[in-house]
Amino acid sequence: MKKKALSLLLASAMVVSLAACGSSDDSASSSTPADTSASSSTSTDTQASSTEASGDTASAEKADYHDVLTSLNMVVNGTLTATVDNGQADFEKQWEDAVGIDLQIQQLDHSGYVDAVGRLFAGGDYPDVIVMSADMFKQYAPTGLLWDMASAYDNAEFQSRMTLPGINEALKDSEGHLYGFAPTYGNGCVTYVKKAWLDAVGINADDVKTYDDYYNMLKAFHDGDPDGNGVNGDTYGVVAAGFIGNEAPYINYLPEFWQDAYPSIYQKDSGEWVDGFQEDATKQAILRLQQAYADGCIDPETLTASTKIAREKWFSNDQTGSSGVFTYWAGSWYQTLTDNLIKNEVDPELVQLAPIAEVGAYLNREAPVWCIIDDGDGDNTREQAIFDAFIETMMDGGTVQTLWTYGAEGVHWSTAAESFTTNAGTDNEKTYEYAEGEFHLLPSPNDPNSIWKKNHIDPALSVCELTNGYVAQTDLAAEGNKFFTENCVDAPVSPVSETFTNESGTIYDAKLAVITAVVVEGGDIDAAMQTYVDTVGSIIDQCLSELNQ
Amino acid sequence: MSKKKAVMTSGGVEVREKPLKLRIWNNRGYYLMFLPVAIFLILIYYWPMLGVRYAFYDYKPVGQPTFVGLKHFQKMFETQAFWTAFKNTLELSIIKLIITNVSAVVVSIFLNEMKNLFAKKTLQTIIYLPHFMSWAVVASIFSLFLSPSSTGMINGIIFNGDTSKYIYFLASKTWWRPIFYVINIWKETGWGTIIFLATLSGINPELYEAADIDGATRMQKIRFVTLPALANTIITVLILNLAKVMNMFESVFVLYNNAVYDVSDVISTYIYRQTFAVALPNYGYSTAVGLFKSLVGCVLVLVCNWASKKTRGRGIV
Amino acid sequence: MAKEKVSKKPSERMHVFDVVNYIVFILLGLLILVPIWKVVVDSFTKVGIYQFRLWPASGMFTLDGYKTIIETQALYRPFVNSVITTLLGTLLGLVLSTLGGYVLVQFEMPGRNLFGYFLLFTMIFSGGMIPEYLVMKQLHLVNSMWILVVKHGMNVYNLVLMRNFFEGIPGSLYEAARIDGCSPMGIFFKIVLPLSKAALASIGLMFAVTVWNDYSTVKIYITDPNQTNFQYKLRNMIMDGDTPTTAYEVSQNTLFNAGIISAILPFMILYPFLQKYFVKGVNIGAVKE
Repeated sequence: MKKKALSLLLASAMVVSLAACGSSDDSASSSTPADTSASSSTSTDTQASSTEASGDTASAEKADYHDVLTSLNMVVNGTLTATVDNGQADFEKQWEDAVGIDLQIQQLDHSGYVDAVGRLFAGGDYPDVIVMSADMFKQYAPTGLLWDMASAYDNAEFQSRMTLPGINEALKDSEGHLYGFAPTYGNGCVTYVKKAWLDAVGINADDVKTYDDYYNMLKAFHDGDPDGNGVNGDTYGVVAAGFIGNEAPYINYLPEFWQDAYPSIYQKDSGEWVDGFQEDATKQAILRLQQAYADGCIDPETLTASTKIAREKWFSNDQTGSSGVFTYWAGSWYQTLTDNLIKNEVDPELVQLAPIAEVGAYLNREAPVWCIIDDGDGDNTREQAIFDAFIETMMDGGTVQTLWTYGAEGVHWSTAAESFTTNAGTDNEKTYEYAEGEFHLLPSPNDPNSIWKKNHIDPALSVCELTNGYVAQTDLAAEGNKFFTENCVDAPVSPVSETFTNESGTIYDAKLAVITAVVVEGGDIDAAMQTYVDTVGSIIDQCLSELNQ
Repeated sequence: MSKKKAVMTSGGVEVREKPLKLRIWNNRGYYLMFLPVAIFLILIYYWPMLGVRYAFYDYKPVGQPTFVGLKHFQKMFETQAFWTAFKNTLELSIIKLIITNVSAVVVSIFLNEMKNLFAKKTLQTIIYLPHFMSWAVVASIFSLFLSPSSTGMINGIIFNGDTSKYIYFLASKTWWRPIFYVINIWKETGWGTIIFLATLSGINPELYEAADIDGATRMQKIRFVTLPALANTIITVLILNLAKVMNMFESVFVLYNNAVYDVSDVISTYIYRQTFAVALPNYGYSTAVGLFKSLVGCVLVLVCNWASKKTRGRGIV
Repeated sequence: MAKEKVSKKPSERMHVFDVVNYIVFILLGLLILVPIWKVVVDSFTKVGIYQFRLWPASGMFTLDGYKTIIETQALYRPFVNSVITTLLGTLLGLVLSTLGGYVLVQFEMPGRNLFGYFLLFTMIFSGGMIPEYLVMKQLHLVNSMWILVVKHGMNVYNLVLMRNFFEGIPGSLYEAARIDGCSPMGIFFKIVLPLSKAALASIGLMFAVTVWNDYSTVKIYITDPNQTNFQYKLRNMIMDGDTPTTAYEVSQNTLFNAGIISAILPFMILYPFLQKYFVKGVNIGAVKE
C-alpha cells in the first residue's frame, strides 16, 4: 500500500463514502456515471440485439426465463445464514413462489468450501450458480468455466437502483469481461478495545493516535492489571489468529503492526507488480511484531490460535490471559462480540479505535461473488435466463431481495402486530412489541432467545438498496458499519498468475518461516529474509514476470 | 499325462500331492467365501487405483487433464520442504509406532497380572477412553494444558506462575516431538492393548501352572510364557502398521504449527498445504506425492515381510 | 469374587509385585483421566474457562450443555443415522473380516498367498482422494450415509488381525469337524465363530468406534444434511461454526465439552456389556495339546 494511493482513495472516500469502498483498482476507482454509461454503450455496439431486448419491459424478460428454465441449481457456503436448521425450507419456498422456478440449494461446509467445490467440479457436477470468495473467483475466472455476464449486467434492470456501481465495475477484467457479480462490498476488520480495560489503566481511546500510543496501550494492558484480579502481567495487549492471515488481505488482523507494509504480491501505482514481502516496510513490520512479542504485548498463542480460539479467549468470562485489543470484522460483529461479552458477564462496552496515523485506514477486502456456470454450448440463452432468474431478482429491491437480505417472511421477519420475549426469566429478559405493518426481525428459528440478524446479504453492505424501506439493524451494527465505511480503503487486488496459483502454498510457508523465526524465536531478520529469497525467490520472480508481461 | 493319472486317483483322500485342479475344486467353498471380500476390495480399493495415472497429468477441477510426464515428480524431488517432510514422516511415525506398541504391550502384560477383576475392568475402561475422542478434541484439550499464555496449566505448575519463563511447548523445536509422543501414548496405548489382551486371554493356563511347578517367579513367567505368546501378535501389529507409516496425517495436522514445520511437517500435511490451501488445486501433484508415498510404504512392507519370514518362518498374510 | 480367587490359591497372595502393580496402574489411570476430567468439569460449567478445576466453581454448575444437546432437534436425525450406520458397518465389517480371515488360514488352499497380497496391496496403494470420489459417485454413494458402511466395512487391517486369531484355533479341531463331514461353511459357523467371541467383540468394537467417530468421510462425501452423522453434525454445530453466535443459551465452551462427552457416551454405556468377552475370552488353549 503506497501512501499516495491511500490518500487518493481517502479523498474519494470523502466524496462518496460508500462508493469509495467499492472502487478497487485504478482503472475503476473513478467509475463515475459517465464511465458506466460509456462501458455500457460499448457493449451496446457489440451486443446490439441483446440491448434491444433489454429495452423491453422487465415483465417481458421475466416471461423469458420461464421458457428456458424450470429449475436452478445453486451451490453456496455458510454465507447463506438460512441454513437447513434455520428456516432454509421456507426461504426456498418463498423464493420459488416469487421467481416461479424450482430452486435446488446445495449448501456446502463453510470450512473446506474450496475443496468441496473442486470435488463437485471434478465429478462433473456443475451447478447453475455458485458463490465464490474473491480468492477463489480470481483463480476460476480465467478458466472459461464461468459465464461472462458483462452485457447482462450492464443491461440489468437493477442498474437503476445501484448505489455502489464501483464494486462490480472493479470486478471486470482488463477486457471488460465480468465473470461474477458481487451483491455486497467486502467488509473488513476494525480494532476493538475493551473500555473497562482502558479505564483500568487510565488511557483515553481518543488519545491513541500513533503507533507509539497504541504500543503503550498494549504494554499497559500487559504490565498492569486491567482485569482486576490483583496480578500484574497475566493479561495481554492484543490477540489475533496468526501474525499474518492466510487469505487476502493478509494483514487485516494486526494492521497496527503491518502499517503500510503489504506482505504479498501487489500492483504498484505504476502498474508494475512487485513482491511486498521483500520490501523494507515488511521488514520493519516484522521487527515491530518481534518487539511486541518479546514485551508480552501480543498473546503468544497468536501463533497457533484459530479465529475461534482468539475470539473466545478475548470474550471469555475468565479474563485472566485475555487481551484488551482485538481487530475483527466490522458491523454485525460489533454486535456479536458485545453479545458474547454480555453473556459471559464481562463489561461489554467496546471502543472502535480510529485507524492510527501509520495505518491511515482499515482494509476493505475484495467482495465474494455469485458466478454463473457457462454450459459451453456457445449459446447465451440459458445463461441469460439464469442471470434474469437469479441475479436480477436478487437485486429487485423488493420481495426477492428481501428474501436474500432478511430471509423468509413469517419465519425470519414479519410485519404483523405482535410481541415476544427473549431470555424470559433471566437477567437479560427483553420484550419486543410491534404494531401492524411495522417491519421487524423475529427470533431465530433455531434459537428463540436471539433475534435473527440477516440472511445472505448484509443490508448495510448491499450494492442496491431495498425499495420497500425494510430496515432492521441493531444500533451497534449500524454504528459499526458506518465507522468502517468512514475509515476504509480497498485492499490491493490479488494477483492472477499460473505459477502463483500452483505455488501459493509454498510461498505462504516461506513467509511463515520468516515470521516465526524472527518474531517467536527472536532471530535475525536479514538472515531470515535471505532464506526466504533462497527458497522461493525464483518462484516469485516467475510469478512477477508472468504478471508484468 | 500326470494330470490324467491324478484325476483317476482323485477318489483317494490320503493322496498327498493332489493336482492343482482338484485342490481348487476341494477348496471351492473357501473361494466362495472369499468372493464378497474380493468384490468389496475391487470396488472400494482397486477401482480407484486406476486414478494413479493422474500423477503424470495436470488435473484441475476445470478442464481436461493434460499429460505432463514426470513434471510433478521433478518438482517434488527438487523441493526441500518435501524432503524434510519425508524424513519427518519416517522418524515420527516409526518412533511413534514403536513407543505406543511397547507401552501397549507393557500395560497389557501387567494388566493381565492383575487378579482383582473389578480393578482390571475399571482400568481397562479408563485407558480405552481417550481413543473415543477425535484428534481435533485431543489437540484442543492439550493446547489448553500446554498453553504459553498466563492460563497455561503445565507452565503454571513448572514455573510457579512466572510468566516470563513460560515455554511454548507446541511451538518449540525441542519440545514438540516429545510432547507429540506423549500425547500419542496417552491416546492410543489403551486401545492398543485390546489386541494384546485378547491374545493373552487365549494363553493356555496349563503353561502357567507348569511354570509354577518349576518354581518360576512372576517376572520369569512373564518372560518365558507371556511374551512368547504375544510375539506373533506384536510382529503382526508392527508390520501392519508399518504399511500405514507413510499415511500419518491427522495427529500431526491438529498439533503442528508453522514454527515447528522443520521437526513436524509430514508428507500428508505437506500435500494438504500444497493442494487444499489453494483456490484451484492441481490434483496431479498430490497424486504424484501419494504415489511416491505408496512406493515407500511398499518397500517398507516387503522388507518387513521378508524379515518376518526369516525370523519366524512365515509372512504376515 | 476376587477374594475367592486369592484364597483359593494361597501361593498367589498379594506381595510386593502386586502392590507396585496396583500403585502404578492407579497413577496411570489418574494421568489418563486428568484431561478427560477437565472436559467433564467444563461440560457442567456455565462459561468458558481456560484453567483446570476439579469441580465447577461455585454457582457455575449447569446442566444446560446437555439439555441443549438433547433439545436440539437438528441432532436427532444424524444420531439415528449414526446408530444405523454403526450397527450395519460393524456387522458388515465382521462378516467380511471373518470370511476373509478364515479363508486366509486355509493353508492348503491354492492361491492363498495371492489372496494375501491382493489384500495387503490395498493397504499400501490408494488411488488418491479424487479418483476415490469419482468411483463413489459411480457407485451412487456420494451424498448417502451408506458410504460409511461400505467404506469402513472393508478393513484389511482388521481382517488380518482376525486371521491371526483364527490361526490360534488348533488345526485338530478342523480335522475332527472335517471327518465328521462338515463343509467349510459348517466349520466356520459351528467351530470357528463360537471360539472367537473375544476376537469378534474386540474387532467389532474397533469397527464400531471407527464408523461412529468418522468425521472426514462425511465431510468429503456428504453434503445433504439428512445424511450426515452425529459426530459431523455435532462438530459442525459447536466446533467449526465460523459464525457462532449467542445462538445457544449456554456458552460455546460448555456446549463443546458436553458434545465431546455425548459422543463418547454410547461407548461408555456399551463397553461394560462387551467387557465380559474381553476379560474371559475364549480358552482356546484348553483344547491345545
